[in-house]
Amino acid sequence: MLSPERRPSMVERRPSFFSFQQPTPLIVPHLAGIEDPLPETTPEKVDVLIVGTGMVESVLAAALSWQGSNVLHVDSNDYYGDSSATLTVEQIKRWVSQINDNQIPCYKNAKLYVSNDIGPNGKYQSRTFGIDLSPKIMFAKSDLLSILVKSRVYQYLEFQALSTFHTFENDSFEKLQNSRQEIFTNDTLPLMTKRNLMKFIKFVLDWEQQPEIWEPYKDKSLAEFLVDKFKLDKPQVFELIFSIGLCYNIDTKVPESLQRIRRYLISFDVYGPFPVLYSKYGGAGEISQGFCRSAAVAGATYKLNEKLVTYNPETKIATFEDGSKVEVEEKVVMSPSQAPEYSYNMPEQKYEVHRLTCIVEKNCSEWFNNSESAAVIVFPPNSLKSGNKEVVQAIIIGSGSECCPDGTCIWYLSTTQQGPRAEMDLDAALEAMEISIIRESSTKIPEDDNLVQVTQDGHSIVNSFKLGQSFKEYVTREKVQLLAKLYYTQLTNTPPFNVVNPALFDHSQEQINKFIPNASDNGVIYTAMPSGEISYDEVVTAAKVIYEKIVGSDDDFFDVDFEDEDPMAMGNDGTAPTYDENAIEDDDEDEDVDMNRDDDNNEFVGKMEI
Amino acid sequence: MQHGIKRRQWTKDLLDQKREDDEKKIASYKSLVKSMFQCRDNDDYTYEAIELTTNLLDMNPEFNTAWNYRRDIISSIKTQLDLGFWKNELKFTMIQLKKFPKVYWIWNHRVWTLDNFPSQQLTIWQGELTVVDALLELDSRNFHGWHYRRMVISKIEELSHSSLNKKEFDYVTSKINKNISNYSAWHQRVQLITDMLSKDQITDKVDFIKKEIDYITNAIFTDAEDQSVWFYIVWMVKFPTIRALLSKEDYSNFLRELKDNALMINADEVDFSGKENVWCLKIVLEIEIIQRLLCEPIVEAVSKDYLEKLIKLDPLRQNRYRFLLSKLP
Repeated sequence: MLSPERRPSMVERRPSFFSFQQPTPLIVPHLAGIEDPLPETTPEKVDVLIVGTGMVESVLAAALSWQGSNVLHVDSNDYYGDSSATLTVEQIKRWVSQINDNQIPCYKNAKLYVSNDIGPNGKYQSRTFGIDLSPKIMFAKSDLLSILVKSRVYQYLEFQALSTFHTFENDSFEKLQNSRQEIFTNDTLPLMTKRNLMKFIKFVLDWEQQPEIWEPYKDKSLAEFLVDKFKLDKPQVFELIFSIGLCYNIDTKVPESLQRIRRYLISFDVYGPFPVLYSKYGGAGEISQGFCRSAAVAGATYKLNEKLVTYNPETKIATFEDGSKVEVEEKVVMSPSQAPEYSYNMPEQKYEVHRLTCIVEKNCSEWFNNSESAAVIVFPPNSLKSGNKEVVQAIIIGSGSECCPDGTCIWYLSTTQQGPRAEMDLDAALEAMEISIIRESSTKIPEDDNLVQVTQDGHSIVNSFKLGQSFKEYVTREKVQLLAKLYYTQLTNTPPFNVVNPALFDHSQEQINKFIPNASDNGVIYTAMPSGEISYDEVVTAAKVIYEKIVGSDDDFFDVDFEDEDPMAMGNDGTAPTYDENAIEDDDEDEDVDMNRDDDNNEFVGKMEI
Repeated sequence: MQHGIKRRQWTKDLLDQKREDDEKKIASYKSLVKSMFQCRDNDDYTYEAIELTTNLLDMNPEFNTAWNYRRDIISSIKTQLDLGFWKNELKFTMIQLKKFPKVYWIWNHRVWTLDNFPSQQLTIWQGELTVVDALLELDSRNFHGWHYRRMVISKIEELSHSSLNKKEFDYVTSKINKNISNYSAWHQRVQLITDMLSKDQITDKVDFIKKEIDYITNAIFTDAEDQSVWFYIVWMVKFPTIRALLSKEDYSNFLRELKDNALMINADEVDFSGKENVWCLKIVLEIEIIQRLLCEPIVEAVSKDYLEKLIKLDPLRQNRYRFLLSKLP
């Protein structure tokens, strides 16, 4: 039985623009369980069985299918996306009860409040909200974006720019200043600070080639390196580490943090003056679904509501709850969130990611840049009332993303703090955000001529009595209306400061050869649950590692050669188009990006109208 | 469904098909050329003949003969053409330029069209300025664009009997703020300041120059490696008008502070990376040359030392440095 309600699918909503260079309108392939009915039977024999339709699994399914493998991709839920899904409010309600009934592995402590304003009789309909279980932002220069272009899955999606990064410091939100342009025009930075900042930025863009500068600090924290070598001050150091590098705490080591800072800076100006993109209509949920559709085109079979019960590595037979079986020639790959009973081989998911997701009845446009509808806020260590040791990161998604109706927005807060402290930190961050949005969006203190006066010798004094009155008045005037509040803890085996480590999979390799008696999952390769990482960085690495285990090498990972619909679609001089399938080239190639191929992504890049 | 099917053995068929299509295109082009020459030889200066050149130029905008013929026709039937025609002519060149932005003949024709516009001359040229604005948005360092801009501005100034210097100065400043490495923008700044000073368009000149000094100081601290900034500073330091406008004391201070800043930046560079900043060395050299010329006291002269360094660091110009070394007292 399929979900009673779901978000409108990619096929149902047409792209909001048409590319003039496309001779025929884009056809988004149908997916079983959404536009097409679910298959009644599954194939008898496949090369690979993938269980769970999250990000890593979906990328893998597409990669394997295009490589020629016969893939059966199943999910025990009645929706796509698994731990990365984008769900409606009703679906979230159901999801939360399932967690509290212990029906979903790797999740715990789920708490949900939903206001009456959301519902069949309320102001807002449940399915106008698309809530990401695993909210993420995508860097413009990233392996995921490369894969999206290579596989052409980007054609099913729409992306928006996100250029606003706020750092919370001293009870206020400071906007990021990181480009040479901003540094140059900033009147408040002392000259030598400008020089030091620029020195660092130039260095970090090419840091691996300058070991003489960073290697003496390789086991030290980045903060030490920045203060010692570049003579930067605390505000710049914090901005670089936490807002640009998006690190979790002050102890992040030099090589990892330089990599993260570089990732931000090289992503800037790839498609425009912003480093990061957000997927419209939903983040990871839409993207993973996109890869599933691509896999389906390449021949993969899809089935929802299909729960794996056990796998026998000797007979190579996988058995599902509905009694059906399939013989798996090569491997079974499974997300820990789909693990059946008696899955003794699953690696210990010992790290917690605590999340707090709120639907707020405010449009939060004060936080967004120009025509954008999303922003990131970072709360560095010790910036909150709770004395947070770890960073709290927040993604704010406005209604322009089509994930929530006008006048509302979604706040995704998360922290890698382990244990019960996490909720305190999340609450403190939420409070700070509520205060800030009220302050910024409330009506300004009325222009009162008697408020500010100038004395005889030219000093201006503020009539503090009047000011106090004004403040008192507007503080009690408004409160942020929360339409929904969701807490949950997600478990993962990726340590909070590392991107997925290939060594993690060697762990399961040993166990593949060592069968635990009575286990339902002997011989199964487990993927990694999403970590606290705010970007999609870990996804492609994880998919590649597993791909290599199955295929032998990752040379042909997404090495697809698409037939163009119209061989006559050539350039004016009659030559075949010479564009590179990759809009993003590898790091060691030229930084210049060929913008011509991203017609669909030009939504937010200004077009010259003459 | 054709979408995204993996390619198989299409290439040979594709090539054959392409050859066939090419032959058709070549035949059609050749016949167009023939027709055009026939018309021209028959002194056909009619509106229909213009259409002929349109089709030809669409296929090959570099065929200058066709442009010339087109202009001849337009000139001879000028009285029959309305404003709409001229507007279309501009549109036509714009479409061609979008496809072939570097073909000089299209630019020439566009300028000719603008020059020959029958009315609303000023409006037309002002419109052209917005076109250049858009162009420079896309590629702010294209010196062809800047050159074209100067031409457009001078036409507007001629037609409106006014100077656009102040506005242009703000425009140039915003371009530099966006990207310090914009050599064309700094160059334009030089032209503008020179012109504004000579036409007495600046009310408080001393204040203006002092603000300019702050501006370039900000620039060298933000990026001491950018050659555009240093070239500009050398001009500022040597420009006699600036020297004349500042009091002796102000000018001395200007030189002294610039030298101190350059020394500071260089010392910081050596401390950080072990390397000298060649630009800093050079500017200090220039300053000390001027100071000697003006018989100013030089605090801690480093010329000899720096010249010897530069001979090694900038071997391309070593003979100049040796020459300067020989001229030192």
